[in-house]
Amino acid sequence: MSYIRYANFYFFFALLGVLIISSCEKDLPTRADYSDYTFNKLDENGGAWKPVLLDSAAQIAIPVPEDVTSSAYMDELTDLRSSSSNLTSEQQEAVAYWTNNPVLRWNEIALELVAKYNLIPGPNDDGTYTLPNPADPGATPNFPFAHPPYAVRALSYLSVAQFDGLISAWHYKYLYNRPSPSITDNTIATAYADNRLPSYPSEGAVVAVVSREILTAMFPLEADYLAEKAREQMESLKWAGVNVNSDIAAGEMIGTGISALAKARAANDGMKFAQCPKPVSDSIKAAAFARFGWQWDNLEVPARPVGLTPLFGRVQLWNIPTVEEVRPPVPPAPGSAEYEADVVLLENYADNMTTEWRAIANFWQDGLGTYTPPGHWNRFAKEYSIKYSLNPLRTARVFAYLNMAMMDGGISCWDAKYYYHYPRPINLIPDFKTIAGTPNFPSYTSGHSVFSAAGAEVMTYMFPEEGSIFRDWALEAAISRVYGGIHWSFDATVGTQQGKNCAAYTLAVAQADGAD
Amino acid sequence: MNFNLRKGAFCSLLLTCFAAGISAQTVSDAIMMKQKEICAALVYEHGSFDHYWEGTYLRTNGTIQTVKINSVAAMAAIGLHNRVNLLVSVPYVQTKSTVPNGGFFKGAKGFQDISLALKGQILEKQLGAGKLALLATAGFSTPLTNYLSDYRPYSIGFGANEYNGRAILQYKLDKGLYLRSSLAYLHRGQTKAERDYYYNNGSYYTPWMDVPSAWNFDAIIGYWMLNYQLKVEANYVGLKSTSGDDVRPYNAAQPTNKVQFDQVGASVQYYPKSFKGLGGLLYIRQLINGRNTGKVTSFGAGLTYQFKI
Repeated sequence: MSYIRYANFYFFFALLGVLIISSCEKDLPTRADYSDYTFNKLDENGGAWKPVLLDSAAQIAIPVPEDVTSSAYMDELTDLRSSSSNLTSEQQEAVAYWTNNPVLRWNEIALELVAKYNLIPGPNDDGTYTLPNPADPGATPNFPFAHPPYAVRALSYLSVAQFDGLISAWHYKYLYNRPSPSITDNTIATAYADNRLPSYPSEGAVVAVVSREILTAMFPLEADYLAEKAREQMESLKWAGVNVNSDIAAGEMIGTGISALAKARAANDGMKFAQCPKPVSDSIKAAAFARFGWQWDNLEVPARPVGLTPLFGRVQLWNIPTVEEVRPPVPPAPGSAEYEADVVLLENYADNMTTEWRAIANFWQDGLGTYTPPGHWNRFAKEYSIKYSLNPLRTARVFAYLNMAMMDGGISCWDAKYYYHYPRPINLIPDFKTIAGTPNFPSYTSGHSVFSAAGAEVMTYMFPEEGSIFRDWALEAAISRVYGGIHWSFDATVGTQQGKNCAAYTLAVAQADGAD
Repeated sequence: MNFNLRKGAFCSLLLTCFAAGISAQTVSDAIMMKQKEICAALVYEHGSFDHYWEGTYLRTNGTIQTVKINSVAAMAAIGLHNRVNLLVSVPYVQTKSTVPNGGFFKGAKGFQDISLALKGQILEKQLGAGKLALLATAGFSTPLTNYLSDYRPYSIGFGANEYNGRAILQYKLDKGLYLRSSLAYLHRGQTKAERDYYYNNGSYYTPWMDVPSAWNFDAIIGYWMLNYQLKVEANYVGLKSTSGDDVRPYNAAQPTNKVQFDQVGASVQYYPKSFKGLGGLLYIRQLINGRNTGKVTSFGAGLTYQFKI
């Protein structure tokens, strides 16, 4: 009967389909795939490293710990034995998630928040634009708009505070040398690789409090989410059997102390003035026009009245004395031979776009809705910290210098952008079209180039075994903006040099901090 | 006129729909080609939108102004057997924004996906004053080129494989009026972006994006006129993704978005007696409701030619 034959045919087709479908779908990772690990070294002298914000590692006082033979400590061990046994599956998941290097997880959380808040405010119905309001973060548009300058600044404060907090923790760890609970009491099982790191104060608690405090200051609408994350991370220290209550309490004290210092600096670093009002923005533009005879204008529909953070170039630098000393030279004037050569170059990329150029433009784009270029370099720092099994202090050091160098680079870049106020390719080349979105700020120099070169210099210093890979990536990130059609090639080449110059100041500090 | 003798003279078509990167070429009519008969078709479509739904919020955006989507699709319906047809379609798509716009983005163009579908007639029987027909299709589509799906709203397609299955039920009065409806499940795979981080209600550290699968429903009322030379139809098409995220405020869409729409349309097909084998097609469609898609208006025109081998 022919119906049966058709039925077989359909069945075969359906089966084939199921086989093909089930064989080719990929897992989609949402976070770094790593578990607790043995640190490549402990940095026992880490308490002697020079902190960034603290005057000394002992600046934040914590109580002298009870002796491990004291009854108070015995009670804590009894409590820990109970907390760390018979874990629920959620508790086990939390222990596995946070690992013995929660610095990495908190950086990952920070990047996710950057991506979540990296949304440019759209126009109102009447063609005006409303800015996010830090005094009313829940209003539309939400505060913050986590653009690259905002992101690099948030990441800087997060990692600098983590770094200082951990230097302080290391100082006390090796001052008091309280062994980890499982060494004193072998009936306590520890969930993590035993690194023999003294347990008082808890480095995990320092990181939890610092991360919660700094990220809450930067992303106020996430206060509840961050509080819950920090609570879970601190609980997981007990579920994992690695810290007793007094370890955690002392860690919290350090975390609270260093967070206050970091937040005080952030409150007065000039960022609140960076998105200046239109009259100020107009005078900056007019000054550039008077100096150079050109100006950048926003071409969006409706036009945005003020570019992105015209005064970010005046924000307090970490390691460079003055922004003027790293300001790049004047770019080629429109109409000059060098400029005309660049027009030809850009038109060639646009007209003969290859798959490779397009892929590079997209890979490094890190645009709206993503973790931004500084976020991309933080991701690399996370991945290489895992690759080299860095301890939490060493990891925080990588992030701290990386983000200070990138923020200083960003400040210098923004200084150049608004000092020179150089037009974008779409401003000057008739009928020019791009494959990347043209940002709301002047062209010269390229933020991607400066951030990436500064980031690559620090990464190369921190991971010398990796050779030239970071610098190669920085060059690719720089040229990606030219392929994308939104930057001149001199924005990229000068920006790369500017990023290197800026990073040199931070690297000089790193070289002298006692860690290497 | 004996309908059974005439019915082989009409082309079965794949309907195209290029609403802002949501490509779908679906077989949903009840027409079967007889064995060794082939219908070839060339269909041009022009779609455009100046409003789109960001989630469920209908808005305009000066960055993209009006997006225009032009396509030409070559299609063939091949009678492998009187009750089994193979349908093939290949569209070429071009997208761009009207000038001036605030984004200065280059549009995109290229061959999109090849769609293959097997269509089988399961049942056809006289029921009262008409005929009841039940058909099923199983289809597959895959990108023909490495076009970038992660370039909304200019992407020419969603860039992933699709496996679909559809059931079609039609009741046609012998006098020419018919009602038809079909329900399909479109299983969509993953598409590869050129970046390895994106946000989809959380971080994703991979270039691969899940393109949401979808249910697709349509309902058609049609009428054969002028002694089976002219067919007019009014139709409704609905699509509903089974997962996915919303476009975020004033942000670009991406392939992971949850797409939904209700679309109404009308079409006319003409098979003049004086040109044996030749047919013409005109249609218009309008999205009336949607989520994460352009409010697309489209017009199409095509020629069909039927021959025996």
